[in-house]
Amino acid sequence: MLPVVRGIIWAVVAFIIGALLTMLVRVAVGLPAWAFGPVFTVGYFFGFTGWLLGVGVWDTWLREYLGMEPRPYKAEGWRRYFGFNTDHKVIGIQYGVTFVIIFLLAGLLAMVMRFELMRPGRDILDFAEYNRIMSLHGFMMILVAVTAVPGMFGNYFVPLMIGAEDMTFPRMNALSYWIWPPAAFLLLLSPFFGGWDTGWTGYPPLAITNEDGQLLYNLAFFTGGLSSVVGSVNFLTTIITMRAPGMTWGRVPIFVWSMFLTSIMTLTATQFVGVAMIMNLLDRIAGTAFFNPIQGGVPLAYQHIFWFYSHPAVYVMILPSLGIMLEVLAHFSRKPLFAYRWAVAGMAGVTALSFTVWAHHMFTSGMSGALHVPFMATTEAISVPTGLIFLSALGTIWQGKMRFKTPMLFAMGMLFNFLIGGLTGVFNSDLPVDMHLHDTFWVVSHFHYTIMGGGIFGLFAGIYYWFPKMTGRMYDERLGRFHFWMMFVFFNLTFLPMAWLGINGMNRRIGDYPPQLGPVNGFVSMMAFFLGASFLIFIYNMVMAWVRGRVAEANPWGVRTLEWATSSPPPEHNFPHVPEVVAGPYDYGVPGGAAHARV
Amino acid sequence: MRRDALIVFILWVVTTAIGLVVAGSADIYPPVAAVEAEHIDQAARTLFLLATPVFTFVVVVMLYSIWRFRAKDESEEGPPVYTHQPFAVGWLVVTSALAALLFYNPGYVGWQFLQRDPSGELTVQVTAAQWHWHVTYPEYGLTITSRPIGFERMEENAVLALPAGKRVKFEVTSVDVIHSFWIPALRMKVDAVPGITTTMYATVTETGSFEEDAAFRAQCAELCGTGHPRMNMRVEIMEPEEFEKWVEEQKKMMEMGEMGEGMDDDDDH
Repeated sequence: MLPVVRGIIWAVVAFIIGALLTMLVRVAVGLPAWAFGPVFTVGYFFGFTGWLLGVGVWDTWLREYLGMEPRPYKAEGWRRYFGFNTDHKVIGIQYGVTFVIIFLLAGLLAMVMRFELMRPGRDILDFAEYNRIMSLHGFMMILVAVTAVPGMFGNYFVPLMIGAEDMTFPRMNALSYWIWPPAAFLLLLSPFFGGWDTGWTGYPPLAITNEDGQLLYNLAFFTGGLSSVVGSVNFLTTIITMRAPGMTWGRVPIFVWSMFLTSIMTLTATQFVGVAMIMNLLDRIAGTAFFNPIQGGVPLAYQHIFWFYSHPAVYVMILPSLGIMLEVLAHFSRKPLFAYRWAVAGMAGVTALSFTVWAHHMFTSGMSGALHVPFMATTEAISVPTGLIFLSALGTIWQGKMRFKTPMLFAMGMLFNFLIGGLTGVFNSDLPVDMHLHDTFWVVSHFHYTIMGGGIFGLFAGIYYWFPKMTGRMYDERLGRFHFWMMFVFFNLTFLPMAWLGINGMNRRIGDYPPQLGPVNGFVSMMAFFLGASFLIFIYNMVMAWVRGRVAEANPWGVRTLEWATSSPPPEHNFPHVPEVVAGPYDYGVPGGAAHARV
Repeated sequence: MRRDALIVFILWVVTTAIGLVVAGSADIYPPVAAVEAEHIDQAARTLFLLATPVFTFVVVVMLYSIWRFRAKDESEEGPPVYTHQPFAVGWLVVTSALAALLFYNPGYVGWQFLQRDPSGELTVQVTAAQWHWHVTYPEYGLTITSRPIGFERMEENAVLALPAGKRVKFEVTSVDVIHSFWIPALRMKVDAVPGITTTMYATVTETGSFEEDAAFRAQCAELCGTGHPRMNMRVEIMEPEEFEKWVEEQKKMMEMGEMGEGMDDDDDH
């Protein structure tokens, strides 16, 4: 039996046991047996445990714990991907395919939203439906932005780039992936329980009093957070302890640095959002009153706890993509990464400051007046370390020998988009201006410029850059470039006018707006449809290349880092024997220079 | 190398000059109806001006590099330049100075201005409830309630009237979930949070109404459930005499029971 199937069966059985137990206890203490909240929540945690046991935890840790011989998952072909596989490369592809699919589905939801917003008034959705679709779009995209790059490229390439045979804890790595399906399942299930209408931020008191779908959001967010924490421990230990001989910290590729710093944020901040989710859930089902003002709770407390995670989280979304961008810029300019140490310092500075800026999401929230100025200061200070990354990027391409392959186009596009994202962010950090722009389409424009224009463009740079390594096949370069130009042009035409809409009085998260904003919204919607269509080219290119693309050589780009020093795709333990690193990863143009490593 | 840098410098100066003219003159703002709103627009203009040289610098370097620094054949490699310490230090100094400058002005200075005078000649109490604004003028014993009926029937919706030339204090709270009280023409919003009262001050200047521009509306800006997009009302800023007249009329209507609490929502979401 496929472990996935066994996991589903065990999950269903465990869910029923958990639900029945809860109902039994409720009857025993004199409550009506059925209440959705408690019964579903307890059932979920039972089912979640059953799923993990069935999919692989039983075969590995539990059998070992009980003194039996563990049964690691071994399979070939497509079956590899449907079990508790501990090969970091399989896990990278599992993450990649899962989250690209979630990305495309969430993009479809955006198309529905833009269809509704194309004209003033109501067209195809009522407001409740719009809110649910918007919330689902937002949350799915947040999961993609937080997870896709670390999950897919972090898992696949961190061990390869540092010359390791796998991660430090391969089974924990598998666990971090297999935690995700229950979260995804909750999201699919949520529409049947009324969905939820609070956006991805889930602010109480609305999140305490609305439809039951909110509970599924709380559980899904908690579950996803658990996976992030498990994964980040693995990245940190792997990068600290598994570097090949000679791979000093000064020779670690910048993408690995970005994963290292990202993991620090994930490991230390995610707990806060997990706690916020559980507290909100308890307010809902157990009568606690952390955030419920009617019983003396403090709604603003949720926002503080939530953003204490969720602002570092936006740097979790962008740092790994910036790592990819710098990686690609250096290799495709055939020039050393400019000011490498400054770039690392910039990323470290962003990481440190990311914990100090959360309340800039709350300038109009009614929080204490003593907090505004300090948070404006920290927020504007974070532009300085971010600027060092721009220094590195521009210094790298300056006087380089640039090759405009698809990954390079995406990296350059990302640099441009992220510039606009950063500059529009300055307006939001400015207290007076934010009084007007907060919660408007200006913000929608700003965070799409950073998260999509930055993070997702970085994701696509990575997909095109590493596709030959991961699949052993080459995609069609012309289609890749076509995809880039279409995505880049229509991305900008979609999101730049949104900034104008925000200034001119269009608040966010709405299914209707003043009629005078109709023409610009109509334009934005048309552009958004073309942006959506650009992904059809991407899907076609990827599927065709994976099925019958030209076979890729080991190092199709002719670049230096270690992942290209082994076959495409790499063998099970990556390298025939432990590589010895003898020079930097970016030592281009050095006459008679040594290779990065002896493999 | 020196020649490249010189050309980029010249291009940067030229594009920045053009950018500054465009950013300084672009009229992208909705109507202004308060002293504070004018200041906030001025702050936004300042930020556009400060952002311009940064934007043009990055874009000029990128475009010039794309044009000039292409590989001519597959084997070509760039010069092994690892860093340029003085340039990096200079970069750090300039970006830090820029961040400090915009923190001070328009940030800190602008914020001090908005906070300068916590008093109002007219108090307006706003109580939010899914999905109405209950607007009370305590000095006049008058309460107006908005209806979530949508933009297509906005002319039937209630009016929040303000006297031009007066300093207004808004006291905002909520009875259920979090809302946000936003009047785009004033360029300010503040959340309506259950359990606490938040405040917002505006010295209203120009007359204007929703019929002129949708910036004259009180819009909920914090997602508050199904009726959120329709949680709005018309804002009308009128001359003080007219305002007094308007209050009398509204009070008469209130007594006649045509408006006020408990009326039919006829919302159809």
